[in-house]
Amino acid sequence: MFPTLKPKQDVLVWCWFNTYKVGDIVVFQKNGKNTIKRIQYLHDRTVFVLGDNPGESTDSRHFGEVDIKDVVGKVIYIVRTK
Amino acid sequence: MILATMIKLLPSKPVYAHCDVPCGIYDPRSAQIAAATVLKMVQKLKELQKPEDDDWMEYKNSMTRMILTKEEHAQKCKEELLILWTDYFKSEHLKKYPELHDTFWKAAKLCSQNKQHVDEEMANQLVTAVDSIADIFTATKKA
Repeated sequence: MFPTLKPKQDVLVWCWFNTYKVGDIVVFQKNGKNTIKRIQYLHDRTVFVLGDNPGESTDSRHFGEVDIKDVVGKVIYIVRTK
Repeated sequence: MILATMIKLLPSKPVYAHCDVPCGIYDPRSAQIAAATVLKMVQKLKELQKPEDDDWMEYKNSMTRMILTKEEHAQKCKEELLILWTDYFKSEHLKKYPELHDTFWKAAKLCSQNKQHVDEEMANQLVTAVDSIADIFTATKKA
């Protein structure tokens, strides 16, 4: 998710009563890990996510769409790094 | 500032932007394109004609853009090589290709040297080095 996010950067994720839209940065469960990517489009009950550094990112282009029930929440604040 | 401090006090969990799953998606093509771009920029820089009149602006603009592109793609080449070197190649590859580490090290050095110089021979060496890595990569894929 470089350059938007850098290693060890803090983000605040809102996990309740969310509606999601294109452009939201979301956290979702993938292979037992909380993974963070940006929503590129939504379709019914799934989201297609893409990394902000697409050349290096492994995302929905590789592992397919993410079920909405696997989305943990969306990022509402990014703590700026020094 | 206050919000950032409050956030740091909240319980936190790690989230991963990189999947850390060995996804098998590697391709030396990106490094080859970057190396070819470095060579092309060196050739274009060598071809630049100094203006005969006082119109140096176009000349300087072109030179600057070519140098920036050379710099960017030399760096890109280095990064792509690093990904292949650290993430793709394994110890069994090293047994079959004992020159692997040295090849990568020299290619990475050439990336830096091509930033520092405008030298067509050096740029060609970079292209050759990256192509040799691509050949090893292709051979390991077929095995």
